[in-house]
Formats: sequence, C-alpha cells, structure tokens
Amino acid sequence: MIGWLKSIGRWIDVRIGFSETLLPMMRHPIPRAVDGPMGWWYVFGSASLTFLMLQIVTGIGLSLVYVPSAEEAYDTLLYLDYQHPFGWFLRALHYYAGSGMVVMVLVHMTQVFIHGAYKYPRELTWLVGVGLFACTLGMFFSGQILRWDPDAYWGLAVAGSMAGRVPGIGPQVVELLLGGPIIGAGSLSRFYALHVFVIPGALLTLVGLHLWLVLKCGISAPPVAGEPVNPATYDAAYHEELKRGVPFLGDAIMKDICFSALAVIVVVCVAAIMGPKGPSGPPDPIVSGANPRPEWPFLWIFALLALSPPSIETFIMLVLPVIVIVALMLVPLVSNRGERAPSKRPVAVLLVIVVYTALGVLTYQGVVAPWSPVMDAWTGDPVPVNLVKRSTPRELQGALVFQYKNCRNCHALDGIGGRRGPDLTTIGTRLTRNKMIDQVSNGTPGGGNMPAFGKQMTPDEMAMVVDFMVSLRPERQPPAGAPRDLVASGEQ
Amino acid sequence: MERSEPPTSKTQHDRGIDARRRLLAIALGAVLLAPGCVPPGKPNPDDRPKTPGQIVDFDVLFRHRCSGCHGADGKLGPAPPLNDPLFLEIISVADIEKIVRDGRHGTPMPAFARSSGGTLTDAQIKILAEQIPARWKSDKKPESPPPAYRLASSDEAGGTVGDAKRGEALFERACAECHGEQGDGEFSEAGAINDPAFLGLISDQALRRIIITGRPDLGMPTYAESEGRPSDYQPLTSDEINDLVALLASWRQRGDVAMQP
Repeated sequence: MIGWLKSIGRWIDVRIGFSETLLPMMRHPIPRAVDGPMGWWYVFGSASLTFLMLQIVTGIGLSLVYVPSAEEAYDTLLYLDYQHPFGWFLRALHYYAGSGMVVMVLVHMTQVFIHGAYKYPRELTWLVGVGLFACTLGMFFSGQILRWDPDAYWGLAVAGSMAGRVPGIGPQVVELLLGGPIIGAGSLSRFYALHVFVIPGALLTLVGLHLWLVLKCGISAPPVAGEPVNPATYDAAYHEELKRGVPFLGDAIMKDICFSALAVIVVVCVAAIMGPKGPSGPPDPIVSGANPRPEWPFLWIFALLALSPPSIETFIMLVLPVIVIVALMLVPLVSNRGERAPSKRPVAVLLVIVVYTALGVLTYQGVVAPWSPVMDAWTGDPVPVNLVKRSTPRELQGALVFQYKNCRNCHALDGIGGRRGPDLTTIGTRLTRNKMIDQVSNGTPGGGNMPAFGKQMTPDEMAMVVDFMVSLRPERQPPAGAPRDLVASGEQ
Repeated sequence: MERSEPPTSKTQHDRGIDARRRLLAIALGAVLLAPGCVPPGKPNPDDRPKTPGQIVDFDVLFRHRCSGCHGADGKLGPAPPLNDPLFLEIISVADIEKIVRDGRHGTPMPAFARSSGGTLTDAQIKILAEQIPARWKSDKKPESPPPAYRLASSDEAGGTVGDAKRGEALFERACAECHGEQGDGEFSEAGAINDPAFLGLISDQALRRIIITGRPDLGMPTYAESEGRPSDYQPLTSDEINDLVALLASWRQRGDVAMQP
C-alpha cells in the first residue's frame, strides 16, 4: 500500500518537480541565531498564516449555510447558532480565529518594527505586509457587516456617512459601497462579495508575494547592537552568515508549528467557552434601544471620533487613515539602513509604546463609551433607596421629574445611570439653586453637551426637580451658596 | 555487551511507553466524552435575541420600564409603591392597565402604549397589569373594606366633590402631625405638601390613592392607621378622603408664583 502511494508520489514529482523546488525551499538555510531562544520571535507570521487557513476552512463551512440576502442573512445565522450541529462552534471559531489573526498580524508587525527587520533588503516585504494588514482589517469590517444585526446595520450606516464626506465624489463612493444612496438589499451583497471574493483574492495574492519575498530575501538575523545595516555590504555579510546557517526545515519550523498549534488550541478553547458573537438582534432601524458598537479593532476610531470636536471629524475620517497607511509604508523607505537593535533605537521603541498606549486607552473608552446616553435609565435605573428614604414629598416629586425628563439617561445617581454628564449625587453642594435653574433651562453655555430643557418643562416641574437636586448632598452639608440662597429658596 | 542493556534504562523505556499510552488514553477519552458535555459557549435557544416588543417576562419588563420610578422591588422609589397589598386591594387590573397604557394625566406617570409614543406593546401592558397584583397582592382581606380607589365618579374631570372647609379639620387630625399645620412642613419630619408646584404635579386621583394607602415603604400611615394621630382617631371615610383631596386641591390653586427664582 505504502509502496503504491510512493510510486504515485514519484510519478507526480517527476512531472511537477516538488523535490527540486519546494524541498530545497523548505530546507533553505536561515541564520544560526534563529535556532536559539531568539527564534521564538519569528513565530508570529506563521501563526497569522495558520489563522488565515483556519479562516478559509471555517469561512467555506459558513458560506455553505449563510444566505447573503438582507431577508435571510439574519435567519441563517440563527439557524447556525441554534439548529445546525456545531454551527455555533463554526461561527465562534471563525470570529475568534479572525480576531486571533488581527492580533497575530499586529504582533508580527510590531516585532518586525522593533527588530528593524524591515530594513534593507526587506523593504518590499514590509510594504506588502502593510497591504496584508489593511486586507485583514478589511476582512474584519466586512465580516462584521455580514452578521446583519444592529451592530452591522449601524456600522454600515457610519461607514456610508464617512464615505459620503469624500469631497467631490462622495455620493458616487457611497453608491459604490452600499449599492445605492442608502443601505438597502444590495448593500449586503456588496459586502458579501468583498468579504468572500475581493479581499480574500487580494489577501492570498499578497500572501504569496510576501512568502516569496521572505524566501528571496531570507529571514533577518536577530538584531545585534553595533551591527548597523549598510545596503552596500549587507548582502555579502548575510550570504556569509547563511553559510554557517541551519535549515529552516528543522528547529525553526518546529517552533512555528508548536506556536501555531498553541494559538489554534487557545482559539478553539475560547470559541468553545465564549460561543459565537451575536447576532445581537434583528436589524430593525426603528428599534431605538439599539446600542451598536463597532468590532474591537475599530473601537479606537469610534472613541476618537466621539471624543474629538466636530470640526476635525472629517479630517479623522478621511485624512487620518491615509496618513496612517502612508506612514506605515514610508517606514522602510525613510529608514532602510542603520542600527536594528531596539536598544539603539529609542525613538522606535518609544513610538511603539505611545501608539499602543493610545490605542489601548481609546479602545477602553470605546468599550465603556461614557458619551452614549443610557436610553433606558429613566425607566430602568431605580432612584437610590437612600435618597428616597430621606426625601420630602416635594423632593420625591422632583425625583420623579428627574426620571421622567430623562435626566438619568445622561446623569448618574450614586454611579448608576448615564455617564455622558456628571454624576449628580452631590450636585447640591456644587450649584446654587439659581445656577441649577439656569443650567437646566438653558443647557450648557456656549452650545455644550447639555440640551436646554427650558421649553420642555413646566415651571412646576422645574421647581420640583431643582428642589430634588438641592437635596442631593451629604447629610448635614449645607447647599451651595448658603445661607443667602437658603433664604431665597424658602428653606430654613 | 550490546545485548545486555542495563535494567534501569529498560524500565525507564517501559515507563516512557506507559506514560505515552496513558496520555493517549486520556486524549482518546476526552475526544469521546467531548460530544457528551455541552461547552459553555453553545448558545441557549432561550437566549435568542429579542426585539424589545417580544419581551414577555414580567421581571424584565418591570426592571426596564417601571423600577426607575417605582423602585427595584416595586417599592422605595420616588413614585408610590406598586408592591403594596392595600393599593392592590382597591385597584382593578383594568385600572392598572389603563394607567400604564395612557399614563396618569397631571403626574409624571407617562403613557407606555406604543400608540401614545411609549415603548410597550398592548400585550406587554397586559402582562404588567396582570402580574403586578399576582405578585404583590396579599391573600388575606382587610378586616373592614377599604375606601374605593376612584374619586367620586360624579366628577370625572378631575375636580373633587369633596369640601375643602371640612377638609381643614380632618387635615388637622390626620395629616398635620407630620406635614405641619396647613401642610407647610414646619417643625415636622415629613416635609411640606402645600406647595402649589408640588400639587401641580400630582393629580387628585393620585392624592386620594396616597391618602388611602399611605406610603408603607416610607412610614406614612394608611387612611386607617392611628400611629402618630390622635388617640380617638377613626379611619377616614371615603367622603372624608374626598374632603382632604379638595383641601389639597384648593392649595394647588392658591399660589400664582409656581417657581421661586
């Protein structure tokens, strides 16, 4: 049996020539230092590739069931989740392997950047890598749209609005993206085509190019301080180094396999424990309680846009992404020589720390989103019992107005409620009665965040809600502006 | 020499095989058992995403739509408690349904029906109206029948047929101890209730309800309880309650400056 298989293999090999091309490729020498513990820095690229293959397999599985029509997409996801055997697991695996791919691509890029591995002669490898990074994010975004739940719907609405701001050709770009001026039945088909044909095609082409470049230029040796890259002498030195090298098909590939296996095991476990992501609810644009969030790789943009003044929004949407991509592409072009060791490149290390800190903080802000009102707080978050217990009838009535007029959706009491405006638990110590009336009636001065409620409240409601707010202070602490204000308000 | 291996290495070798077999057995067992156990990530059909209109669980509806004002457990909120056996004794399911659907005019209680711009479907309103008494109504009947919930039906417009003059004497006996003379809240612990702005946000019907049920969660006595009231205090009659409501309503008219600066 085995002999029979071997003869088939030989028959093919004679014609296709694997043993003359692929085997030497696999056995190509790599720098000896990779053989040691430093070699563990080189496993992230192959892990990204492993996840990509996992994504292709699970993605094909999903596409057998998924129907990319606005009518049926959502239902097919429910069918996968609840009826199809292990359909939920396939969805979970596809989501977490995709997340893992983004993580691995980021780590791989960071490692290459920190080790200066993008310098001569590997500039083009980096450039193609930037394209792969963009494709990976494109896959993540288009994949999120295919879920066709409120997150997807509103995510697409935001993307469409952003595209509409492109000067001059905005409407045409929107038309191209959404298949019409607004989100419609054709929009989902567009993103299905993007997710299944266009971006994967580009991705696989670039992966092939990337791998070819890795083979062609060789793996960079671990950086050594005091050995700067000089394009004039690098090739000869690297050639010398490879003479003492070790074959890739050995310790190096074992490290790759071990790490990829570990990464896959982690993703499988996470998928089994966490389950599929969404779908969160039927995509019904009239459901006002929807609280859509972008997927995690885009939360930082969500935060950045929410926290920026409106005047620079267009810049952030249209110019910033271009700047980021161009900056990433310029990296190997402006510094393709010199030191590679991180200990000799403080600016590069600092840049990585600053960028990741900024992304981390923005992502955290995107998760908690304190700028979003809690739409249900006015009926859903009880007034803290300790406040109720000490309140007079007037203050109780004021608390009712406070809830009824949706103050709670933006202002927390005892930390519960919206966080768009300040927590008002001790507002009575900070604002005088008159200031409160002014603030509630006219909103934040100068067109700030708080709307003016003057025309939405009767004088009675205003009087009661201010009574309640004056009472919001620790026991035995006088209200702000006492005693003159006390007399004015009639309290003794 | 070559044939006689040291015995120690042989046992080590055997142990190695044993360990590998054991590992294989565990792995095989895990693979066989895996389909039997349910991974925590498997979605539960009960957790299917619902639109807000599909929610029929009373607890969820109450938590999302009522607890903000009426308190987490139907009491100790700023609005009158729903978790109050006496209140549920006097009010009918149809009345609760009507209030939830249309709101309570003249109070901050909003209309929840979708037809009025609210968030609840008719079916959900029905669930709330039926479940609130089912949860919190007491099985045992009060000794004497409490006064009717509704204001005298002869005046549906919201005015009362009570007599404010008679109400003044009643107020002195039933209310002044905690709310002060003339309800001004002075030298009393419960606070003023004579403020036109306060009365402007509470309907006569709601006043009648509060006088009957008190606020058991905040220590306000019912119409019948004599605690803090004169020793010869008798439970208020339905007409007397209307008189008190009329008195409070007259205070509502009194002030022309609703909002102090």
